[in-house]
Amino acid sequence: MVKAKRNIKKKPWALGIDIGSAFSKAAIVSNDNGDIYYHIIASRGDYRAAAKKVAEEVLKRAGITLEDIACTVATGVGATSVAFSSIQVTDISCVGRGAQYLYPSAGTIIDIGDQASRLIRVDSEGSPTNFVVSEKCAAGSGRFLQLIARVLQVDLSEIGELSLKSGRPTAFSTNCAVFAESEAISRIAEGALKEDILAGIHKALAAKILAMVERAGLEKDLVIAGGGAKDIGLVKSIEEAIGVALLVPPEPQIVAALGAWLIASERSTTNQAESLLR
Amino acid sequence: MDVYVAGVDIGSTMTKVVIHNGTILAAIIGPTGPEHRRTAYKVMLEALAQAKISLDNLTYVVATGYGRLNVPFADKQVTEITCHARGVSSIFPNVRTIIDIGGQDSKGIKISNGKVINFVMNDKCAAGTGRFLEVIAEALGVRVEEMGELSLKSGSIPKISSTCTVFAEQEVTSWLAMGTKVEDILAGIHEAIATRVHGMAQRVKIEREVVVTGGCAKNVGLVKALERKIGYSVLVPSEPLLTGAIGAALIGKEIASQAIEKGTPISRAERRLAAVTFFDESASRGNQS
Repeated sequence: MVKAKRNIKKKPWALGIDIGSAFSKAAIVSNDNGDIYYHIIASRGDYRAAAKKVAEEVLKRAGITLEDIACTVATGVGATSVAFSSIQVTDISCVGRGAQYLYPSAGTIIDIGDQASRLIRVDSEGSPTNFVVSEKCAAGSGRFLQLIARVLQVDLSEIGELSLKSGRPTAFSTNCAVFAESEAISRIAEGALKEDILAGIHKALAAKILAMVERAGLEKDLVIAGGGAKDIGLVKSIEEAIGVALLVPPEPQIVAALGAWLIASERSTTNQAESLLR
Repeated sequence: MDVYVAGVDIGSTMTKVVIHNGTILAAIIGPTGPEHRRTAYKVMLEALAQAKISLDNLTYVVATGYGRLNVPFADKQVTEITCHARGVSSIFPNVRTIIDIGGQDSKGIKISNGKVINFVMNDKCAAGTGRFLEVIAEALGVRVEEMGELSLKSGSIPKISSTCTVFAEQEVTSWLAMGTKVEDILAGIHEAIATRVHGMAQRVKIEREVVVTGGCAKNVGLVKALERKIGYSVLVPSEPLLTGAIGAALIGKEIASQAIEKGTPISRAERRLAAVTFFDESASRGNQS
């Protein structure tokens, strides 16, 4: 901690914040050794409070205070609610830069969030060259998985492993998340297995991702980001659907926050000492 | 001799049976549930009891709706598009456009001289169907039946930015948290469904007279929102759920009269009021794959 305090005088610190509809994430990369400090909390509909809370915690973990931060970049659906941010950057740019920071060979990123899925093509700098977003319909997003997990009474963290046990994925007659939810209930009433239903949902989501790949094209290496990437069953289904192996970051949920940090660190020449957590 | 006919309409949410012999003798509406055959049986028994006749007294039975293949006592299956058109035309002979908003789908049917000339349908997405109303009603803690009246008290209509039912539900929750009045949210919801249904129905070109049917036609707030979109008033049958079953019964009556005229007998040997097994597990498992 003391060491970090000394170092900030040489090079300013930066902070990346990603306020998503379900989760808020913050990331700081250490000036000493490149260690990544991060924190993830549920947004709970109050983006402003979530931003403050997640930032306080990540600063604590990095052993610094907001006064040490020269630049804060906010991204995500709640970016405008980050009262202490210096600038706001689109989630497309942040996901691209973040993925490229982790995997310099990244050519395409699949980001599966709560309300939207994105396919982002990036250049060698991680800057987006093309992208497709699916955000109109819950059937293409991580929310679909959350709905079904709730119906099946399976913890979100368990659905991936459980789905891998499936021998016969359920075929759903609908693409709509609302109708699929009732279909899942009927199937369970008929004695279907939870793993088969989950595997069926993974297949349906993978088909949506494949459609995005077909629209925007694909360039290796392929990185998967967002909360959906924590679901091993979904990752495998997508790999199967598109026929390309995916690189999964150790913590896929913070990719956008990391990209926000990266952009902030490049701009952290301006002094932000007057900014306070409000 | 009186010819008794029945129309059975198994919708995704509600099952309706009408028994007819020149006038409507019985009309029963019950929830569909997961087992169509059991529902068809139950609702039919109730209708027969109301009409004070037995199944053998029925000359002809026509099944329609999404579950029409699961009516073992039906003599014929007819699509709900045809039956709705027939039923609505019998009530409103001048109908040109039917907008049917059911529990899990919505349709626009174009009619010329009592015949269906075109139709559009949405059963792919819950937005624009009764399911959307149900989900929102639950989020707001109001009953579906009271949504219409409540929404009429609204002073300002907020705009719902999500099309998807799932995202709209979340939007509604956050409005509630911000203190938006329930009646205003409801008005916004009706506006959203009306926009979607109007956009769909417009693909067959909406023309006067417009008749709105289906369970959602009972929602006065939604009907008014639709009228604002269309630009003139619409007609709603006194019992908007029954038009499909009435149409099915009328088609049955026609077939029965023709058969009697020609002297061709109508075999009822295949009819079974109660299916042998209500829930054929092997069959339903087979459907999954």
